[in-house]
Order: sequence, then structure tokens, then C-alpha cells
Amino acid sequence: MNIHINGKAYALGHENHISITSALTLHFIEPQQSTFAVALNGDFVGKTDYDTTMVKNGDSLDVLQPIQGG
Amino acid sequence: MSLNIYGQILDSRLLIGSALYPSPQVMKQAILASGSQVVTLSLKRQNPAEKSGQQIWHYLKEIIEQTKGHLLPNTAGCKTAKEAVTLAHMSREIFQTDWIKLEVIGDDYNLQPDPIELLHATEQLITEGFKVLPYCTDDLVVCQRLYDLGCQVIMPWASPIGTGKGLMNPYNLETIRLRLPDATLILDAGIGKPSDACLAMEMGYDGVLLNSAVALADNPVLMAKAFGQALQAGEQGYVAGIMEQRQTAHPSTPTLDTPFWHQS
Repeated sequence: MNIHINGKAYALGHENHISITSALTLHFIEPQQSTFAVALNGDFVGKTDYDTTMVKNGDSLDVLQPIQGG
Repeated sequence: MSLNIYGQILDSRLLIGSALYPSPQVMKQAILASGSQVVTLSLKRQNPAEKSGQQIWHYLKEIIEQTKGHLLPNTAGCKTAKEAVTLAHMSREIFQTDWIKLEVIGDDYNLQPDPIELLHATEQLITEGFKVLPYCTDDLVVCQRLYDLGCQVIMPWASPIGTGKGLMNPYNLETIRLRLPDATLILDAGIGKPSDACLAMEMGYDGVLLNSAVALADNPVLMAKAFGQALQAGEQGYVAGIMEQRQTAHPSTPTLDTPFWHQS
């Protein structure tokens, strides 16, 4: 299947779906880090749901971190 | 003379942004010099392996601890209510605050807020327990609708973000103040110089939110201090009661027994 994380494409051979926790490690993100939040296909997913929420073919994951702002 | 934002009493009436400074060190010095206890920040896509987000977060946490202040995450870059609602939830999880500076942009040229999407997002976020600080235009009816939805704080623009053009429509801003006497009104965006902030306070505004005017100054730390003083001067002027303008000149020096006075 093919997924996108922060706009970057990832091809995952024989997988039908993976958890958000697993998807984050593809993007070199340690799920234990506290300073990021996740949206799947534009919908917020809370940290407590990372293990049970599945990322499927064609899905898009956004991982956001703090940055300066006005 | 304090500012009340959703029940939080703050010593300073200045809310300040954390972007565009020459360095994180200057950002920290300028924010501390301003006396502000509310600092805005945002969320962007980043690769956590780069660690840059962690560094900024570290600086901002230091500032908040030092000032006993508050973070005010924004929804910059959002163009729909759905995007803004999602970003608000992500911000709440990261920053552990119900406060959200709600921005929904309707035009890329002047970054003008989209009033319709803004109202939709506000309604949903208030239902979900957020304390919304909406960034809007100086449209009285939009401000009224936001207030009616439950926004205790409303933030009309002075002029488009980052322009430094100051108060484009003083009449509109004065009318909003007059018609919404119980709302906490923060003038947000377009402030260029300390006198702009002073003018807003003289109108009876409760505070000012700015970023570029300080961050892009030749000396951001000195400018931050100047803005803090300008807000105090404007507030004190408003509280003291500004004299009515008069059409004709009136001598301020007593005319009785003026020497060399020639009676006609």
C-alpha cells in the first residue's frame, strides 16, 4: 500500500494497514515524544488512539510540531 | 490595570508573537522586555528528526515559566473551518490549553479572514470546550455574531497581517468598541509603531496583539519595551478621560488682567 506522511510518499509492500504508532516510526518519529500531534486525512487523532487507529492505502498522515507564530 | 482573558487576569495588555525575530535569543529578550504574558505560536509540518521544533518549544517554555504567562496557539494557514478545527485540537493536545487564536484566511493577497468559515469554526470549537480568540476584520456585524456565539474576546484587525499600516479604519474600530462594551477587544495585526498601539488603547481597546512591528524593528528588544510603554500611556489616557475636541480656539492662559490688553 502507499501512504503519505507530511506529504512524503511511503510504499509498504504487503501491508494492508498499519497503526499510527508504526507509521510514525517510518518517519523517524519516536511516539514517546510529547511535542507533536497527528491528523489522519485531515481529522485529529489523539495520542491515546495511535495504537488502535489504522492507516490504510491512500491515507495521508500529518504530523505537526510547535513553531514560531504571530 | 489588568487584562482579563477568559478569567485569567494578566498584568500586561500586550500579546506578542514569536515569529520573524533575528534569532531565538533575540525573540526571548524582546518578549521579556515587552512585559507580555501571552505569546502566540503555531504548528507546522516538521521532521522531528531535525529537532528545530524542539528548540523553539524549549525557548517558549522558558519564557512562559519566567513570565508566569500563557501560550496562545494560532491556526495560521487554515482556509476552512474544518482545517482550523483540526488544528485547534492538535494544538490543545500539545500545549494543554483551551485557548485558540482562530485564524481562517479567505484571501491570499491580503490574508483577510473569511468571516463565514470563521463563524462556523467558532461555533464548533466553543461547543467542544475551546476558549476562542477569533482574528477577524473590523466588521461590526461579524464581531457581534462572534460575541453572540460566546466569544468573550474578539480580535479585529488594524490592517492586514504584517503590513504595519496601523489603524486603517478608526471609525469602524471605535464603533465596535461602542457597540460591544462588554467584550474584551484586542486589536490584532497591522500594527506598525507604538503610537498605533497607543491609539487603540485611547479608543478603549483592552489590548493589542502584534509581532512584526517588534520582530522586524532594527532593535526588537528596545521596540518591545516601547510598545509596552505605549500601551500603558494609551490606557491611562483613556481611563483619565480625553477632553472633547472643540471647533474654535480657546486661550489656555487666563485673559483677565493680561498686561498690555487693549480693550476695543
